[in-house]
Amino acid sequence: MTRAVAIGLKIPDNTAFTAGVALRRLGIAVERVERSEIWFFEDEGSALIERVKANETIFNPNKHCVTVLDEAVPRSGEVWIEPLDDVTLSPSKGGGEKAAIAWRLFGPNEATLDRESLGAAVERLLCNPAIERAVY
Amino acid sequence: MSARIAVLVFPGTNSEDETLRLLRDCGGNAELVHWSQASNLAQYDAYVLAGGFAYEDRIRAGAIAAHDRMMDSVIEAAGSGKLVFGICNGAQILLEAGLVPGTGSVRRPTAAFTRNAPAPHFVCRHVYLRLAIEPARCAITAALPQGAIVPAWAAHAEGRLAATPEHLREIVAGGHLAFIYANSTGAVDQAAIPNGSALGCAGLVNREGNVLAIMPHPERDAWNFNHLDRREGDDVLATSGGSALFRSFVQALAS
Repeated sequence: MTRAVAIGLKIPDNTAFTAGVALRRLGIAVERVERSEIWFFEDEGSALIERVKANETIFNPNKHCVTVLDEAVPRSGEVWIEPLDDVTLSPSKGGGEKAAIAWRLFGPNEATLDRESLGAAVERLLCNPAIERAVY
Repeated sequence: MSARIAVLVFPGTNSEDETLRLLRDCGGNAELVHWSQASNLAQYDAYVLAGGFAYEDRIRAGAIAAHDRMMDSVIEAAGSGKLVFGICNGAQILLEAGLVPGTGSVRRPTAAFTRNAPAPHFVCRHVYLRLAIEPARCAITAALPQGAIVPAWAAHAEGRLAATPEHLREIVAGGHLAFIYANSTGAVDQAAIPNGSALGCAGLVNREGNVLAIMPHPERDAWNFNHLDRREGDDVLATSGGSALFRSFVQALAS
């Protein structure tokens, strides 16, 4: 079974902040943006998190946090941006494959954005359909 | 009074000085305009988007800058027929803004200059661009000879033209392929392409011919001192091949 791992930043994420500013300028009511890399690993049971944390190529304990997702699909309010070709994918590292960049958008009161607003964010900024596909 | 050229500076632009210097050496009345001065842009007659890393290329190269207030003015100006010339990161911004190839709507890109291939690495390499359209098809290239060969430096990690097969066909059919990579004699071969660019593309023009986007930097091969074939005894400050495109641009504004 393939398991998805989200590797995000625990230090301030300037790119996510900039995306939030740009989305608000485009009229999308987003208050906070979380960005993470989605990596796929073959099932390794409870050892998966420890193995990811031990992989210095993809994980730096000083700045990263890691979450094993319940399912290998985007979470509520989240879109995965995947390249249409494999040029932009990193080669396999530590047994994992980088699959996408995840953007998770939050509105007022930390509620995740609804699908319509998420779609607007995707269409207007987060995805260039010439080179990427959005999964949400 | 000669036409006024704005050289746009976004946060992270880093090629504005040599771009400005070359425009002036070619007789252009050019000045820098920073992102905080966006409200002044309408008074200019032409716009040059210089290379660099606008907004650190966050999200994608050129994606944030394409939505900057400066680009509101540039998009409006392009629609009214003013000349817009983007180089490297400036070209990426123009593609993200949908101004080139211009086969979709504004800010709905149909192509991108994206991650190099086969190795997704930064490339710094001397290249030659061959004009692939009739010179008059684009106002900015109108004073170049047919099939002109322009020397330049490629310096990018994301310069590969990529688009869906349908949009690549539109680019060819619509005559948007302005420059292709070639060797110094103008012959096209795979070795001349530094980044795996589709169609061997080095530059695109919009349908109307007033917006041109090129990835390599002719302004970095514009004086003998930075020309690849510089000979001892050459006047190091004399302009060299890369300036031809800028001269053509300035000439278009004078006519």
